[in-house]
Amino acid sequence: MEENQAIVIKPVKTVLPDQAVAYIIVGIFAIFFAIFLILPLAQILKSSFVTEGGFTFQNYIEYFGKARIRRSLYNSLYVAGVTTFITTIMAFFMAYAMTRTTIRGKSFYKAVSSLPLMAPSVVQALALISLFGRNGLVTNWLGGKWDIYGPTGIIISELFYCFPYALLILITTLSAVDARLNEAAESLGAGALKVFWKVTIPSARYGIFSAAALAFNLTITDFGNPIVIGGDYNVLATEIYTQVEGMQRFDLGATISVILLVPAVLAFVLNNYFTKRNYSLISGAARPFIRPSSRSKKLIFSAVSIVIVGAIIIIFWAILWTSIVDVWGGRAGQSKQILRWLTAFSTRHYNFSHRGRSISVVWTSLWISLIVAFFGAWLTLFAGYIVEKRKPKGNQLLYLITVLPAAIPGLVLGLGYILAFVRVNWLYYKASIVILNIIVANFTLGMLSTMTNMKNIDKSIDEASTSLGADLPKSFFQVIFPLSRVSFWNNILFFFERSMVTISAVIFLVSPKTQLASITIIHLIDDGYIESACAMSTIVVAIVVVVHVLFLAIFKIKGIKVV
Amino acid sequence: MGKDLILEKLTKKFEKIVAVRDMSIEIMEGEFVCFLGPSGCGKTTTLRMIAGFEIPTSGKIIYDGDVINDIIPQRRNFGIVFQSYALFPHMTVKENVGFGLKMRKVEKSQMSRRVDELLHLVGLEDQKFKYPPELSGGQQQRVALIRSLATFPQILLLDEPLSALDAKIRVNLRAEIKRVQTDLGITMVYVTHDQEEALSISDRVIVMNHGYIEQVDKPIEIYKNPNSKFVADFVGTSNFFEGELEADMFLDKSTGLQFALSRDTRDFSAQQRKAVSISIRPEKIHLYKNLAKIPSGLKKTNVKEGVIDVVTFLGVIVRSIISMFNEYVIVDITEKDFEKAMFKTGETVQLYFPPEDFLIFS
Repeated sequence: MEENQAIVIKPVKTVLPDQAVAYIIVGIFAIFFAIFLILPLAQILKSSFVTEGGFTFQNYIEYFGKARIRRSLYNSLYVAGVTTFITTIMAFFMAYAMTRTTIRGKSFYKAVSSLPLMAPSVVQALALISLFGRNGLVTNWLGGKWDIYGPTGIIISELFYCFPYALLILITTLSAVDARLNEAAESLGAGALKVFWKVTIPSARYGIFSAAALAFNLTITDFGNPIVIGGDYNVLATEIYTQVEGMQRFDLGATISVILLVPAVLAFVLNNYFTKRNYSLISGAARPFIRPSSRSKKLIFSAVSIVIVGAIIIIFWAILWTSIVDVWGGRAGQSKQILRWLTAFSTRHYNFSHRGRSISVVWTSLWISLIVAFFGAWLTLFAGYIVEKRKPKGNQLLYLITVLPAAIPGLVLGLGYILAFVRVNWLYYKASIVILNIIVANFTLGMLSTMTNMKNIDKSIDEASTSLGADLPKSFFQVIFPLSRVSFWNNILFFFERSMVTISAVIFLVSPKTQLASITIIHLIDDGYIESACAMSTIVVAIVVVVHVLFLAIFKIKGIKVV
Repeated sequence: MGKDLILEKLTKKFEKIVAVRDMSIEIMEGEFVCFLGPSGCGKTTTLRMIAGFEIPTSGKIIYDGDVINDIIPQRRNFGIVFQSYALFPHMTVKENVGFGLKMRKVEKSQMSRRVDELLHLVGLEDQKFKYPPELSGGQQQRVALIRSLATFPQILLLDEPLSALDAKIRVNLRAEIKRVQTDLGITMVYVTHDQEEALSISDRVIVMNHGYIEQVDKPIEIYKNPNSKFVADFVGTSNFFEGELEADMFLDKSTGLQFALSRDTRDFSAQQRKAVSISIRPEKIHLYKNLAKIPSGLKKTNVKEGVIDVVTFLGVIVRSIISMFNEYVIVDITEKDFEKAMFKTGETVQLYFPPEDFLIFS
């Protein structure tokens, strides 16, 4: 006991009570989002309704008065509708093959299917142009007279852009919906097709709706693919760009943005609703062993998988090959040379200075992405911790605000930034505005993954550290952060990838001084340099894939399970 | 006067739900008290208010003469042991135990000595460099116990510390907690829904229900003289009969069941006498093979006939469920007596209910 008394236990020094710290952090986030999310959106609304003469519907009257731009709404709905329909069916069959059959090579199919997630949403259209465009490989080889520019081109591109997102949702759904229902139905004498229509599809319905809503949202808000392959066929996203960049009509751009917001937000809300319904339907029951599928079943589903995955491989192969051969496609009617030229390699398309561009955009993209990754991961970790674990008053409001960015099309948010910060010197056309925009635009998903992780950390861990004398910052850095490393590094990877491939969010924010690789692809296509655009795409995709594989390898070595 | 912990008219509301109502209790320095009650009775909320994790809606928490309602948890220096252990999985046992000292910037050599001393206290010296997931549940909870003791807390709060453990380990660790408490003379406030745990370990038991205190007493008094039907039912097993009082007799008019009672029933008002419940512990009921075996001198009105319905062996005692007057009565007799009399399921037996062992509740 005497020894014990020798230990001097001083009371804990604390500057501020945890509640106060939590309020301050919530307050900081609230101000941050008020400035970088709410203000830009308010500016969009204001620009669309307010002119020099005051409040007016003038812009909307003008929009609906001009047949050309009025058509963009119809075009958008048509393209998104058709894409949604086909993608959902494609993704459903592929997901079924991955979860309910015993075909070989599932992990290969899944890996390839996730490739489009690691590429700017322009590579699909770019590959189509290099294969089927006016001077495309297949066009010239077969002497085809088709025109890929227009709705068909957009729809085919968007199919392969939305596909991996829809697939992920449906794989989750089908692997979680109790497969024993099928067995029960079969044992009651239902035939295979009947089981499929009466059991499999109804039990996965919310997953199907949720995948469809997401595909619709992604297609209608996509900018990269329609701008390069749409030709004269204008959709809402490209019309915003044309009005703002081409005609300097910011007011009309804002008006179209508001029109685009309506279906985009609606689809987002529907997706959220169906996701929730889906989770309530998914049972945690043990998944029984999948019985070996019949030969014909295997054959059909292998064929489906090979066709879809084959198409994705062709897209990326076309991008890579276009960039590394000396002459791609050649001229029509030279079939023999066209194929011979495929093995005449050259690095000349990687020399961007001939095209009036610079390789430095890759470095800009890289360092901007690293900064985005660092701050994005930390900010989402802070916000997720405070909202999920400390629950100060107002945390629900903060949560709602952080969910909002996912509903806002990147293009709209970007335009809002230009309108809101045109007079702010340290932001306007600077790297800072690009970084802030990418972080805010992708905050939702990063935050949701952090919150899932926080839910897995026992509440009493945090309380134990509090009762032992750790204040909020100490609890966070010494206990919560070490336990959140996996989700933290996942978010680093997530923000890095989003930042490398983003187009629509930053198209209005880049300047000659801060130019990004993904935007440069668009400019190169615009200038007609398809091969160099493919070269730039290859660089971007290569960086993302290498970083991704590196992360997975490190996770694997460290024995961390990645979901 | 020691450093007592006083709860004064403590109330906690969560939106519209009242978790704790108007609770007042004094806990002496060095005392071991248990909050006992079913889930949702407010016992954990009370503990969390003492710890500082919940702010009382009204009332006072007084420690050593000072109101501590607004003192942040970090400055209270009350140790807490959680049901889920809440050890930091990324730190070794040593780092876990030393965490509180590190937060108080205690010198390294002193910290190390203190950690060793505590590990010795619970016999975990050789587990010092292991990580919590490598330890058994019992070992983890021992580490959690000494971690909470490291900073010489004035009060140790334990929130169902043994609920996640196996029955045997639970009994061992219970004894160990009691030993540590006696050795250190520290005040312990222990929350549990396990009445056996509460009765065996504490100096005083506070039985709670719906946010109220039902009874505060020594364990033996709680068991022998429960002051409400809830306590009689929740603590231990009781047989209940519903009916009315007539003079010193209990009568259930619907079945005709009646018992002579020896307790003073004068305190019950005419209104209360109309609807009472009486209770008797299973081990107080005597069981006889037939009328001939009943010793003379027992009140004949309290001898009833019943049929053995179910027999369960619980080790030292045998529990029989006997049907009688359309009701089931639980009777515990020792395994030895049970063997001797050779009772069988389906057998008709005679039960004797001693009048002095009935409790009456209005």
